Order: sequence, then structure tokens, then C-alpha cells
Amino acid sequence: MHTSWTRRRLVRATSLAAVGTLAAPYVKRAHSAGTVTLGLWDHWVPGANDRMVELANEWGAENNVDVQIDFITSVGNQNLLTAAAEARARAGHDILSHPTFQIAVHQNALEPVDDVCEALMAEYGDFADNAVYLARLDGTWRAVPTCAGSQSYPMCSRLDYFRDIAGVDLQDMFPAGPRDPEKSKDWTRANFLEHARKLHAAGHPFGDPIGQTSDSQDWLGPLFLSFGSMMADENGNITADSDETREALAYMEELVQYMPDDIYAWDDAANNRWLISGEGSTIHNPPSPWTVAKRDAPEVAANVWHHDAPAGPRGHYRGNLPYFWGLWEFSPNKSAAKDLLLHLARREQQAALVEASQGFDMPMLKSFDDFTTYVDAAPPSGTLYNYPVQGNEILTVAGWPAPPSIAANIYFQALIPNMVARVTVDNESHDDAIAWAIDELEGFMRG
Amino acid sequence: MSQQTGVPWRRRQRTFGRHSGLLDWFSSRSTVGVLMCLPVILIIGILVVYPFVFSIYLSMLNKPETEFVGLGNYVFLWGRETFWMVVRQSLIFTFFAVLFKVLIGLAVAHIIHHLPDRGQRLWRGLALIPWVIPPALGTLGWWWLFEPRYSAFNWLLQGMGFEAIAWLSDVFWARFAVVTVNVWYGAPFFMIMYLAALKTIPAELYDAAKVDGASPWQQFIYVTLPMMRNIIAITILFSTIVTFANFDIVRVLTQGGPRNSTHLFATYAFRVGIETGDVPLGAAVSLFMFPILAVLAYFILRNVRDRSERV
Amino acid sequence: MATVAAGPRLVANPIGWLKHERRWALVFSYFALFVFMIFFLGPPYYMLVTSLKTNQEIANLATNPWIIADGITFEHYWKLFAETGFLTFFKNTVIVTLAVVAITMVVSILAAYALARLKFWGAGILALGIFLTYLVPETLLFIPLFKFIGWLGLLNNYVSLIVVYPTISIPFCTWIMIGYFSSIPRELDDAALIDGCNHWQMLWLVFIPVALPGIIAATIFAFTVSWAGFIYPLAFLYSQDQQVLTVGTVTSLIRGDVFHWGGLMAGALLAAAPPVLVYAFLMDYYIAGLTSGATKG
Repeated sequence: MHTSWTRRRLVRATSLAAVGTLAAPYVKRAHSAGTVTLGLWDHWVPGANDRMVELANEWGAENNVDVQIDFITSVGNQNLLTAAAEARARAGHDILSHPTFQIAVHQNALEPVDDVCEALMAEYGDFADNAVYLARLDGTWRAVPTCAGSQSYPMCSRLDYFRDIAGVDLQDMFPAGPRDPEKSKDWTRANFLEHARKLHAAGHPFGDPIGQTSDSQDWLGPLFLSFGSMMADENGNITADSDETREALAYMEELVQYMPDDIYAWDDAANNRWLISGEGSTIHNPPSPWTVAKRDAPEVAANVWHHDAPAGPRGHYRGNLPYFWGLWEFSPNKSAAKDLLLHLARREQQAALVEASQGFDMPMLKSFDDFTTYVDAAPPSGTLYNYPVQGNEILTVAGWPAPPSIAANIYFQALIPNMVARVTVDNESHDDAIAWAIDELEGFMRG
Repeated sequence: MSQQTGVPWRRRQRTFGRHSGLLDWFSSRSTVGVLMCLPVILIIGILVVYPFVFSIYLSMLNKPETEFVGLGNYVFLWGRETFWMVVRQSLIFTFFAVLFKVLIGLAVAHIIHHLPDRGQRLWRGLALIPWVIPPALGTLGWWWLFEPRYSAFNWLLQGMGFEAIAWLSDVFWARFAVVTVNVWYGAPFFMIMYLAALKTIPAELYDAAKVDGASPWQQFIYVTLPMMRNIIAITILFSTIVTFANFDIVRVLTQGGPRNSTHLFATYAFRVGIETGDVPLGAAVSLFMFPILAVLAYFILRNVRDRSERV
Repeated sequence: MATVAAGPRLVANPIGWLKHERRWALVFSYFALFVFMIFFLGPPYYMLVTSLKTNQEIANLATNPWIIADGITFEHYWKLFAETGFLTFFKNTVIVTLAVVAITMVVSILAAYALARLKFWGAGILALGIFLTYLVPETLLFIPLFKFIGWLGLLNNYVSLIVVYPTISIPFCTWIMIGYFSSIPRELDDAALIDGCNHWQMLWLVFIPVALPGIIAATIFAFTVSWAGFIYPLAFLYSQDQQVLTVGTVTSLIRGDVFHWGGLMAGALLAAAPPVLVYAFLMDYYIAGLTSGATKG
């Protein structure tokens, strides 16, 4: 206990000094003409990959290191396949991008990067809690949180529909600038039911999938948490059987009445199309539908506002899927690779990446919430201002606070949406649906 | 038929020949045989047997792959309700997909076979189209046809005054959809196999049947089917294997949903092994396929051998 | 059976059959054929239509999805060539396919000949073993194979597919060929042996020419396997310059949660074109080949 404490203190102390020195010229001598290889997430926004290559090459030229980047798509889970295979082959890239739960999956094959993360925190403050939860395992940072690929799930809503049908001024509650918390205090789950009812009656319902795909988890996970319902606690004890879960299920029973009938078959792109088509009034999503609408349906885009999800009776949460850069423990170029990671994770580079992603990426350092890309996005002017959290929402992911390896099962096996669908489609009782979930959870618990 | 009795006799004669001094010929025959099989032995040994054994080893590790747990993963799966659901669904999926591939393949082959020669080439060419579209891409096309809001099928149904169908969110229709796409992709191949088989049935058999006053249906039952038994069994065997191990169709269409009701072994293994990172358990799921397929293969193969001996 | 399968002259005479049957049978046949063709060709037709629509029309819920209302556009095809690596994927796929077909045929023919004719020790077990490998699913093998491919230094190189695809094509092709070679009358061997042929010459001069239809059938199977493969390229290749058609089309046209439907459908149809051409040319051999081979299996 004592030793680890002093070690951490030492790391923190030295990293304060290391902020400057890590980027220092040792690389030039030790790694001249060396090569660092990266397998990074293939960004879907045109130009984002090119910017990444530029930034990495800048560092490479400065340090006389050859940087090679492959972009690996998440379509077809190619990135997961590559990571699983590289981890077992103990060969491949030095640095690989990992989505949300994969740090726990590869925990033993990833080099600790406490020095890099501590250096970043010393300079810029804390990472979002969700990033800490997913990448700082057993007290050790196993990967560096990055903006590239990270996203959050705010609501993307039609300003005109909310104003005209529900009588809610979203821009007033969640302005593109300092907000008055008083104004948004009625933005609650309970009141949202009433908005949803009106929007549904007017033919412009709220729509999000309730199925196996990830968007389903990213709005239902935070919704259940906001009622205080947790599937398992941080020690892996099953806690699904609770009044909070019943309350959330009862809420869903009512909410789905005001949603389209076919949401159970929606995939991650269906809610985007729902909004872009002009039929939908609001969804939970990163800004991708807004970006597409700017091209295909400009009149829709000009009315889309990104803002907080409603607060629940026991908390205010927003879905978040962070991306991480992990350094393989079997990499032959660890010190050069760490130096490159630090370079790319710093404010200037992260801001450049966010800009290149047209605001889709979301930095995981809390103090990076003021990048000009979010402030300047238009039309409508400032629509992305609230894409990084500006209020009191806590970023989270379905499955939290269970240990990430268990949470990954809760997430990917779609425990929460399946439980909801059992109640709302199959008309199972709350008790039966919860009993089913507990049985599933017992299966997720294996070490 | 006459050959069946002839072959052992000839073999016996050869054996005598070998003993009377052609030992070098015998040994060279063996050497040549091994030489000729060497490439296949090497390829299968390195690229299938070794990875297969490694997978068995992998499936006996715990989740972080730090400890040997023997059959622990298999025992664990044995006790999971979801796993048995996957077993049931894989069997149901395979049964109906193969059944309809056989029926549709037979029906289309039979129809085309009885068309005038000139038309046959065009029709069988057209019918093969589903089989040449790479399944991963073809399934995407189907998915767009089933998409809840843009479904062109529902557009037709609604145009005819019916209710739209929730193709991929209703348990029955989702299962129907994955079987349909598999049949669509596979039936043309069956059709071609059966068409070729039909062409080898001697016309004399039909003439004889007609003389006996058999109706077309009776000719089909008493002449066509018995003559095609082997090819039907073989297609069933190979298709059962491929269908049982199917991955892309379910992965693209439903990802196993709604409520895990369309998961097959391969998609469930992928979800467990890759997405949630439990590679040993995923390997165990995949390996459960092997004994099931081996049992199915044994019965189908035995069937083939019995029949060919009887013929 | 063997004598029957060998002779194409014994084909049933369909015209004769038709003459003796009632007219409605023909009408019914055409009707049924029509229904089946709608099932087979409906989705490809819809894919074709979608690939020729503008993005705006694809997204439009108001128009008839089965026809092109706002005019034909070749924009998706043009973009496929100009803005994605489609031509590179195409070239890589062709190279992989040709190599896999060549390797498969050499290895399968050699093995099939040995297993069908040279009854050496262990031949039966080996034949069974080759069949059993067909039961091992790809999804199980890719992780250990990744290790092996990495050891060869072929990660992210399409040559890796030339290494792994034969594991899928060889078992089936070997079994087809065993069936073929067994159906060749032994009198042919005896005659060749008397002429002084060794086994290599006999294979080359007697068996391959006689079993040519079967070889073509097996070729087409190997062609399909390597043309349409999905899981291995997904696991082994990530650079655009190394990618093949199936995975390349999907990964360059699905960007995040944005699907470029027109392009995807155009890519699917273009990817289907070479097999259509190959099969159209070889269809007759294929039919004769597959049947007589497989029935002997």
C-alpha cells in the first residue's frame, strides 16, 4: 500500500517535470531512423485521417522517426478482430486504437501508460470519469484516452418542433454559451414523457432503437442509471433486482407508447435517417445526422440542436463511448511510441483533430470542452456547443459501474434493451424480465 | 452394377501379381501416393489441424487466458439457457434453410429441365445470379429491403392494402428473414446440381414408366427421386455444414436480435469471443459445432454409402 | 450408375415428354418458373435500381422504391471508381482468386488421384481427415491463423489470403475429384500401365483429360470461395491498397453510421459480374462435371 502510494506520488511528481522533458530530444538519439507503427480508427469524416497523418508526421520529422499509420475501420468490427489477433500473435502495430471496453479485454497485453496520462492530467486537469473507469484498471492507466473516435450521445432535437409542439425553447435552456441552471431544471425524465406525448400526437415522435446495436445501449443505459438502476455494482454483485429498475421499466412502458412502432428493428443508422427525413423530432446521437443533413436536407440541419439528455430522479447521465490509444506491451519502440502518444494527446493536436472531424470527436479531458470547433459550428449557430458536456451530466456507458469486463457483456449482449423489449413487446411482468436479466448476468460474471 | 462384383475379383488378381515379384512396383505406388498427398497433408496440417488444436487449447483457458480450466468453459456453456437457445436456433435455421434449398432447387431444376433446350441456358443463367453476388454484399441489399422505414417489401404490401411487417424486429419474421436470405443465396447452387443430375437419368427409365402408365408425378416419385438420392444426400451434407456455420447473413441482418432469437453458433461465438473479449469462451462455442456436425455428417454419409451399395 | 453418368448421350428427351402431356403442364411450369424468378431476381433488380438512383431519391420515402422516378444517374458507379479503391480491390481479388484456384487444383488433383487409385496405407483415414477439415468453421481458425500469418510476415498483405483460402477450397475440391477419378474405368489404367506409363504420366495423360468436366466444376467452386470470402480479409487486411472486393466495398462505403446505399449496391453488382461471366462460359462443363463427380462421392 505504502509503496504503491509513494510510487504514484513519485510518478506524479516526476511527470510534472516530464511534461516538457518527455517530448525532449532523447528520441532523436535513441530512435533516430526508427519506426513507430500505428493502427488508428478509420474516421468516417472525410479529411480527418489526413489531419491525423499530418500531426503524426510533424512529430516524426521533428524526432527523426518514421511514422507509419494504418487506418482500421470499425465496420464489421474489423478493429476488434485486428486487436484480438495482434494481442495473441504478439505482433502487429506498436499503437492501436481501442474502442470503449477493449482496454479491459487486452489489459494484460497493454503497456502501462501512467507516465503519459499523469503528464496530461498535470497540465490539463482530469479526464472524464468514464475514461478513468474504462482505461485506468487496478490503478494503472493501460491506454491514453483520445478524442479521435470518442463520442457522446446528447439529444439531437428539432428546435422548431419542440418550440411549436411541446412549447419548449431548447436554445434558451441550453444556449451556446454560459447557461442559467434554473432554466433547465424542468428538463426531467418525467416532463420529457409529456413532451414525447405531444410530439407523437403531432406526428413527429421521439425515436431511438431498442435492439442489439450500440445506439440502443447508449440511450437506455444512461436512462436506467438516471433512475438509479444498476445491473451490477463495482464489485460485480448483481443489483438488477431493485425498485429503481422497476421504476425505469415502468417509465419505458409509457415512453414507448409515444415512439414509432418499428424501433425494435432500428439499427444505428435508422435514428439518423429518422431525424434527417424530417419526420423525427429528437434522437440520441453524436452529430453525424446533423452533418449528413447539412448536405442532404439543409432545412432540417438548420433546426437541429444538440443538448443535454433529461435528468432522472437519481442522477443526470449521458451516454459516452470513448476511444483509447493503447501501446502493446510487446512493442519494440515503447519510449518513442509514448512520446508520440503524448504529442498527439495534447491540447493543440486534439483541437486540430476535433476540427478535422467537424466536431464529431469529443475530447476526454474535461478542460477541452471549449474548442472553437464546437463554438463555431453552424447552422444553427452554436449547435455543437453542448456536445461536450456543459451542464451537470455525467458521461457514462451502459454497464457502469460493474467491472468493465462484466459491463462489456451487459453492453454487447444488449441486456437492458432486451429487458425493456421483454416488458414492452412480450408483455412480460417486471419480475420476469428482471429474473431473466439476473440469469443472464450470472452468465456474465465468469472471471 | 456388374462392376460392383467385378472389382474385388480384379483386385484379388492384382494382389497375386504383386507377390510374384512386383514388390518394387508396390512400394513405388505407395511412395507416389504419399508424395502426391504431401501438399494436402502439409496445407491441412499447418493451416487447419494446428490452428484447430490451438483453438481447443484456447477453449480450455480462463477468460484472461492465464489459467488452464479444462472443460470448465464447456461445462459453463452447458448450463446457460442462452447457449441452448443458440443450439436450438442453429438447428431450426439449418433444417428449414436446407429443406427449402432442396425443395426450391428440385422444383426449379425440374421445371427448367423440361423446358425447350434453347430456353434452358437463359433461365439457369438468370437463376444463378443470387449465388454469384458475394453474400456479404447481397445480404446488405436484402437488409435495405427489410429496413423498417424504407422497406420496399412493405411498400408493396401497403400498396396492396396489407399491414406493414416488422421484418427484423418480430421474432418470427426475423427468423423467416434470415432463412429466406440463406435460401435465396443457396438454392441456385442446388438447382444447378440437380439439373445436372436430372440430365444423367436415362430416358429409357421414363419410357418404361410411361409404358406402365405412370403419371408425371409417379415418374417423379418412382424414377427421378430414387435416381437422385445420392446427389440430394451429398448436397444436403455439404450445405448442412455451410449453413450451420453461417455467419454473414445473421450478422448483417439482425446481429442476433430481436432478443437473441436469431443467433447462430458463429454469430454468438463472435459476440462472446470478439465483442465482449472472452476469446476462450468464444472458441468453446465454436467448437461445440464440431461434434454436432460430425454426427450429422456421419448419418448422411452412412446413408449415401448404404444407398450406393444397394443401387 | 458409373456407365450411366459417363455418357451424355443418355440425356432424357424433354421435348418428347412435353408432347405427351397436357398443355396446362407447360403453362403451370412457366407460371411456377416466373414465381421463382421473382424470388431469385427481385433483390438483384432492386439493388440495380437503387444503384442508379440519386441519393435524394434513395432517401425519399414518397416515391415508388421499385422504379427510378427522378432519372438515372451513374454517379455511384463513377464515385466507386474515382473515390474508392475499387479498382485496386478488383485487381487484388483477381490475383488472389487466380492463385487460389491454381494452388487448389494442383493440390486437389494430386491428392484425389492418390486417394482414388493408389490404395496406400492410411489413404482411407486421410480422405476422412480431409472431409473433417470441412467441418471446422473459419470463425474458429482466424486467431491462430493470424499468428501464423504474422510469423510469415504477411499481415496486411493480400498474399495471406492465397495462403489461407486453400484450406476452405481444397477439402471440397478433393472430394469432388475423388468421386470423378473413382468413376473412371480401371481398364483405362491397365491399358496405360501396359503402355509403360508411370503414375505421373498416367495422371497427366489419362485422368486429367478424362475428368476435365470435374476439374472445371472444382475450379468454379474454388473461384467462388476466394471471390466471395469475407472473414479472413476482414481479419488480415486493413490497408486500402491490400484490400479485396468484398470487404473493401463494405468498409469504404459504410462510414460510421452513414451508409452509401447507391455505391454499396453498385459495388455488389460489379463484384458479381466476373463470376457471372466465368460461369456463363463454363456452365455446360460445370453441370456435367459436378453431377457425375458428386454422385460418386
